[in-house]
Parts: sequence; structure tokens; C-alpha cells
Amino acid sequence: MIEIQLTVNGKDYTVNIEEDKRLLDVLREDLGFTGVKEGCSEGECGACTVIMDGKTVNSCMVMGFQANGSNIVTIEGLEKDGQLHPIQQAFIDIGAVQCGYCTPGMILSAKALLDKNPNPTKEEIREGISGNLCRCTGYSKIVKAVEKARGYEDES
Amino acid sequence: MKRIGRGIGLSFYGTGYGNGFPDVSRAKVRLLKDGNVGIYVGGTEVGQGARTIFYQIGSETLKLSSDNISFITEDTSLMPDSGTAAASRQTYNTGNAIKIACENFMDRLREVAKRELKLNSTQGLKVNNGKIYLEFFPRKVISFKELAQKQKGNVIEAEGEFVAQTVEMDSETGQGAPYWPYTFNACGVELEVDVLTGKVEILKTRFAQDVGRAINPHLIEGQMDGGFAMALGYVLFEDLNINEGRIKNQKFSKYLIPTAMDMIDLENVIVEDPESTAPFGAKGVGEPVMIPIAPAILNAIYDAVGVRITELPATPEKLIEAIEDSKEGRVVKHG
Repeated sequence: MIEIQLTVNGKDYTVNIEEDKRLLDVLREDLGFTGVKEGCSEGECGACTVIMDGKTVNSCMVMGFQANGSNIVTIEGLEKDGQLHPIQQAFIDIGAVQCGYCTPGMILSAKALLDKNPNPTKEEIREGISGNLCRCTGYSKIVKAVEKARGYEDES
Repeated sequence: MKRIGRGIGLSFYGTGYGNGFPDVSRAKVRLLKDGNVGIYVGGTEVGQGARTIFYQIGSETLKLSSDNISFITEDTSLMPDSGTAAASRQTYNTGNAIKIACENFMDRLREVAKRELKLNSTQGLKVNNGKIYLEFFPRKVISFKELAQKQKGNVIEAEGEFVAQTVEMDSETGQGAPYWPYTFNACGVELEVDVLTGKVEILKTRFAQDVGRAINPHLIEGQMDGGFAMALGYVLFEDLNINEGRIKNQKFSKYLIPTAMDMIDLENVIVEDPESTAPFGAKGVGEPVMIPIAPAILNAIYDAVGVRITELPATPEKLIEAIEDSKEGRVVKHG
């Protein structure tokens, strides 16, 4: 067992974990952030995407100990004071959610993209979410939702 | 060198289990203690939007805001069976069952209202916006809430059942009319084939789907977008690569499905022609939306480079081999 410290959604945590525990399992099992979804477990589908120190990572491909000292954002961290994040709201308004399994990862990839590039082109949006697989939506409404959320930081 | 081609695909698809198989959906509607209405139905939401459609059908039939309706679903101990969320049947079959159950429920409400309002008959009693009233003398009125409070243990409820009409085909000739109703669609695709690499890029599509009546155009577009993407992967990338009973491409790094970068903006056309046996004319589109895409893409490949691919997926390797063979004048089936 090793002890790690990390910040998740603005709150500090200290956890004792097995050395071979993945960040995905630390977040889901030790800390209860079940919005982080496990899909393929090999870094291909993006369902377990979280934002780690400003960059998206597949949390199935990061070992728990590697997250020591890091700052992590999961889907649970986007809502503020009962208000959905503009990207979340846009996904609902446009109808970009079907089965919902890819949605947390999709929204976090969109957030990481918009944080870096507030006004991406459609092609940049497609590229930005290309690490997140979706079997239901054909991506069309997801891309539209991210387009709708573009520039939200200017408005807030 | 790149060559451009255009192709179309057309299909029609039967709703429900078909072929004489019993296809039954049931629903139950109950006046809840707080005066709201509970609709109990086994139809399962898996992201396709069944629940939203059920709300719409229930709300429209009961003339009641969806805020005053609770859907109780997906618990077999609480509700009658509505069959599987499969065969593109929930909108049509379960939608019909909900509509029938709501109509029966409104008849029940009128009977109870007749008693409570001390009327001679249920004639002229209207159910609208959570109230039952006499149309020509609206002061004779009772609300769902008052009715619920007065019932004291007596539950006001009604069931509805919809049995689809389906006929078994003649086993000797394979002839008959196994499904009803059908949905119809057409897809046109313009694409580019790189004759050196065998890579296919979709440039433009127009996709039209008959839906009976579009009671939720947003959800239909979602189904059409998703059906196109799934078919695109099926035609161009997705290969289980089964070898001696083993799936070799058993992970997403080998079994490729489309990403956002493989998709383009689709031009979807929703065609409305209300179906007389359907709830408010609406038919389901879950499966049909995938079907015309493969022939459209393969026809466009043929138009671009003159080769017929007869086994999916049409991978770059297969396309190049087919193009080389056609150059040498060999007539080979590529599959």
C-alpha cells in the first residue's frame, strides 16, 4: 500500500492504495466518482477520460501513484452551485446524449479543448473529441453541442 | 489519384417481431394519491428515447402536462410486459398500448366523475388539463386531485393492450405479408476513393427516412445520425476477423469503429406520412436507419472505380486488390 495525495474537483484527498491500482479505480472505488466510466480498459474508447493537470487522460492508463500530487477534474466537478456547466447544458439542449456512457468523457474532452481553444472550428472540435468513441449518436449532435458551448467563457 | 463516385440505397423495413409471432405490448395507467397520473409500462429506455416518446404520447392522449405524469418503468414487479426494446417496436407497439391504456383510463375517470358529480350519464364529460367537466356546463367539474382524495383506497386505473397484426409467411413459398407497418428510406452518398491507398472518404450524403409522423424530430435525427455512423463502420472498417472460431480483432485498437473525424455533417430529411394504425401516426426508426447506407456506399464505390465489393468491410486492402484485378481484366468476386 502507498499513500497518495490528490485534488479532485477542487477538494484535497489522501488515500492509501495498492501499488497496482489504476487512477480509474481510485476515482471510482476509493473516492466514489462513478461518473468516470470504464469502457475498453486499454486507452482506446475514452469513456474513462478525466482532466489531469489541464490535460485529458484515459484514467485506465494512469496508475494511481502517478496521480500523486495532481489536480483532477471529473464530470462531477463541472456543476457549480446547482448550475450545470455550459457544455453540459448544451449537450442537453441539443440532444447530444443517447445511452450516455460516453457522455462524461466526451464533455471533459470538450472542456479541455475549449479551455485551450475557446473558439475551435468544426474540424478542431471533431479532432478534439476523436479520442472518445460513441456508438449511438454518430457524433453529429455532440459536435453541434460543443459548437453551441463555444466561447462560454466570454459570456460568464 | 482520387476518383469521385455517387450511389444510392433504398430500403423498407418491417416494424415489430413479424411473421405471425405474438407481438404484444401492455400498459397500465393509475390516478396517484397526489392527483398526478402514473403510467406503468415495461418499455425500456436504452438511449433511443422511448421514455420521451412515451411521455409525449401519454401527455397528448390524457391532455395533461408531462409535469403531472410519472412514468414507472423497467421493474417487472410493478408493471405489465411491453415486450422487448427491439425490432424498432417501442414507438409503434408500446406507444399504441399507452394510448389505449390512457383512453381506457379516461373512460374510468368519466364513470367516477359521473358518480361524484351526480350526473345521469358520462355523455359530454371532457377530460382536459387535470380536470373532468361537463362540456356544456363547465361548473360541473372535478379535478384529478379532488377525485384522488375522495377515493380513499379505491384505485382508479385502467389497462391497455396492443396486439400487432402480423401474418406468418407460407413456409413452402416464402410468400406473404409478414410485417405491418413498414418504414421506407433512401440514402444518397458522394464519396472519393483514393485508387493508390484504397481509402474511402465520404464527401456528402442525403438521407431520407419515412417515420409516419415525427412526434420528436430531435430524437429521429439522433437515430438517423447514429444509424449512418454505425453503417459507415460496418461498411468500411469493422472486421471481427474470425479465424478458426476465434475473434482476432477483439479490441478497439484492432476492431475500428468510426470516430468523430470519420463522420461528416449529414443532410437528414424526415418524411412524414402518418400511419393509420400507429399512435398519432408515428412509426419506429431504430433499425431501418442503418440499412440503406451500405448499398449506397458500395454503389458509390462502384461508380467511382468500377468494382463491386461483395463482402464487408470494404477495407483499403480489398479495394486495391479489386481495382488491380479489374485493370487486368480478371472478373473476380471480391469477398
